[in-house]
Amino acid sequence: MIDELRIDRVIDAPSDVVFDAFTTDGGQIAFYGSDDPGWIVESHCDLRVGGLWTVTFGPSSTHLYRHRNVFEVIDRPRRLMLATTEHRPDGSSFDFSIEFTFEEQEGKTLMTVTQSGFPTAELRDEHGRGVPNAFTRFERAISTER
Amino acid sequence: MQHNGTLDRTFFALSDPTRRSILARLGGGPATIGELAEPFGLTLNGVKKHVGILEEVELVVTAKVGRARECRLGPAQLQDASGWIDGYRRAWERRLDRFGAYVEKRR
Repeated sequence: MIDELRIDRVIDAPSDVVFDAFTTDGGQIAFYGSDDPGWIVESHCDLRVGGLWTVTFGPSSTHLYRHRNVFEVIDRPRRLMLATTEHRPDGSSFDFSIEFTFEEQEGKTLMTVTQSGFPTAELRDEHGRGVPNAFTRFERAISTER
Repeated sequence: MQHNGTLDRTFFALSDPTRRSILARLGGGPATIGELAEPFGLTLNGVKKHVGILEEVELVVTAKVGRARECRLGPAQLQDASGWIDGYRRAWERRLDRFGAYVEKRR
């Protein structure tokens, strides 16, 4: 059973440029930023396998999200794999994995974010298709699992 | 959106394949604890435990019918959970858009 959320964009720059921008402060501020006045982004990155990358972001100092990432794979300029814990302003947290890939395509880069670790594929799929009842999907997935 | 504590419990409840199978079975109609136990080869207590976890987040409701306890699907909590993931997707999309614009502007 596939269990992931995948989003991609083509960026008009070579993959090494995109990769390096992404792993520096300016890129992170852009990535986690917002045009909202007072928005906060702080990034501290130890770019090595096992290194810690923390990103704190949010609309105010009293409403901050924090991504605590540990680098599991660094394959410049193609791929990053992170084990992430998101700490939310209400005190809750959520663990997941994120893979970033940077695929060069004729001078441009297809950047793909794949987040995995949702408890069920059905929940991930449900929102995009607008199907009101997830239980038929459960049944289908269970048939696949068996 | 429901309270995140409830959402956490909903995700936890859905993370177990047996509980997902129970939900799929109940999607076809109500069943007693005994009827749920049989196809999974579980003890009655084992099924009660799973049903209790599902009942806590209202994915399942139970009621005494004669000498048996009947289970059926509860109120639709999944919309809240899927809405939460939908918000997640939109956040990643916005981040990629902003980052792409940042890189392209620097060139």
